[in-house]
Amino acid sequence: MIKVLFFGPVADRVQTHEMQMDFSPGMTLHNVIAHLGIQHPGAFSIVSLIAVNQNQVHDKQMALQDNDEIAFMAKFSGG
Amino acid sequence: MLEPVRIQQEDFSQNEEVEALKASSKRMGGIATFIGCARDFSEGREVSQIGFEAYGSMALAEMNKLRSEVIEKFGLLDARIVHRVTTVQAGDNIVFIAAGAEHRAAAFDACRWMIDELKQRVPIWKKEITPQGDAWVTPHP
Repeated sequence: MIKVLFFGPVADRVQTHEMQMDFSPGMTLHNVIAHLGIQHPGAFSIVSLIAVNQNQVHDKQMALQDNDEIAFMAKFSGG
Repeated sequence: MLEPVRIQQEDFSQNEEVEALKASSKRMGGIATFIGCARDFSEGREVSQIGFEAYGSMALAEMNKLRSEVIEKFGLLDARIVHRVTTVQAGDNIVFIAAGAEHRAAAFDACRWMIDELKQRVPIWKKEITPQGDAWVTPHP
């Protein structure tokens, strides 16, 4: 199972903070983005940072592992 | 003793934070602090409250990394970073940054660097709550 997290303005647009996706061998980050991006284009239009297991990821072809945690985030505005 | 890097709902005490910083070394000759607080006006609108949301575990890890980096980069004796994640009223404290060094120049530079890096790197978002409705804040330079 892959845990997918959304925060702030992205969570508002997806209308949830968390969802689960079934894991399948060979699955990549791109697969997850493609799947969710079609369902939530408005949310993904403001995603500017992606983290896998709390580390920022730039390579969308990254292979995922079972139980990975993916976070889709808009630009930060703390402070 | 309070941890030097924290995310918390409750307010912080600047005095307690500075005392904790000073307790780390008697070689400290300069301390620079920054407090970010909530404004009641933004982008031409009255703001009644500001709500914060964080990716808590990643935010705390990044803040700890930031502290280690700033100590190394500026040769600090110690540094502290505290960020509130809750809903605050206008005038309330949001974030506390402190840099302690042997001399003032490093403390000033490190303090500025920390808050600038925090805004870029730490996964926290703020939402302004106004009489006209709520709006997530677009990052400021």
